[in-house]
Amino acid sequence: MRNIVRFTFISLLFLYFSHGNFIVDTLGSAYAQQDWKQEYADVCAKTQNAMTLSSAELKNHIERCDNLQERINELNGSQGKTEKKVYTKRLKMCRDLYDFALKYKEEK
Amino acid sequence: MKKALFFTGLLVFTISIALAQTGVKKRRPLPFEYGRVVINNYSETSHISPVVFDHWLHRAKFTCRICHVDIGFAMQTEVTDIRAADNINGYYCGTCHNGKDTFSSCKNDFTPKDSATCDRCHSLGKKIVKKYDFREFVKDWPRERLGNGVDWEKTEEQGLITPVDFIEGVSIKREKLADQADFELGAKVEGMPDILFSHRKHTIWNGCELCHPEIFIGIKKGITKYSMVDIYDGKYCGVCHKSVAFPLLDCQRCHTEEVR
Repeated sequence: MRNIVRFTFISLLFLYFSHGNFIVDTLGSAYAQQDWKQEYADVCAKTQNAMTLSSAELKNHIERCDNLQERINELNGSQGKTEKKVYTKRLKMCRDLYDFALKYKEEK
Repeated sequence: MKKALFFTGLLVFTISIALAQTGVKKRRPLPFEYGRVVINNYSETSHISPVVFDHWLHRAKFTCRICHVDIGFAMQTEVTDIRAADNINGYYCGTCHNGKDTFSSCKNDFTPKDSATCDRCHSLGKKIVKKYDFREFVKDWPRERLGNGVDWEKTEEQGLITPVDFIEGVSIKREKLADQADFELGAKVEGMPDILFSHRKHTIWNGCELCHPEIFIGIKKGITKYSMVDIYDGKYCGVCHKSVAFPLLDCQRCHTEEVR
């Protein structure tokens, strides 16, 4: 039993040193992929109540949209190309609404 | 002299024929055709028939926002630039037409056996028997005079349709929309009743970002000046009410207030 545990531990150590970067990168990129979608869902969740947000909140949301767009622009590959097109449009609608609400408040 | 007169007459006739308008009057679409969109971004270049999209079937099942905000279809035909790869990747039509929720749209491993499925959308110029028959589909719904001949608002009020407003994994979990107050818009022509704009109904179906600021850019009521000419040109209300929502000929649906 002890030998099995020892063997498994040594194998895992070997795997980590030989493929560690690959594993970390793969997990990291999968996380990063979900990460930007989560950021999109968070930042655009307030569109229903855009008019009730303060100017500072609206400015913050617009900045987050702009930062997110930069990340979306980096998407590539077949799936990435599609996602770039879809989310650029969706994000633009959301960003433009916040900008619209901000201008309304500033005019007021 | 007679010859000169004949040739002058002939010349005038030829010029008037050449300059005559070749007919600008369009046939009014039949109820089942109203709101139909033909999408041909890449179909013909890929040797396949363009897509015929029937709005009536989709609007009976989904709110405008699901497709035009959450899925990302543009408000103008062919602007979305849909590719088969986008559908295969699970976006645009492929969001629902994925082989699980409903029949699959576009495939990498296409075989001639699939042609009947392709024809369900890529049907322009083909005699396809659609799965849903318009007349049968709407037969018990409240009627309207124009457009599809359906009063969509009443149909929903009576619970005959329940348009979906959230798709898991696609829509964002948004906060509840605050009730929007309807407001009056003054008619520009004397004797024409004012408009009572149903802001509440529009926001329920569309959300905010579908109209603001893409369609209505003015940040304050009354700032954006537009006329019926603009609307007939497909701008402002005309984005939807020229082709999909009840048509502009149905004046009384908007101009509802008493004449002052």
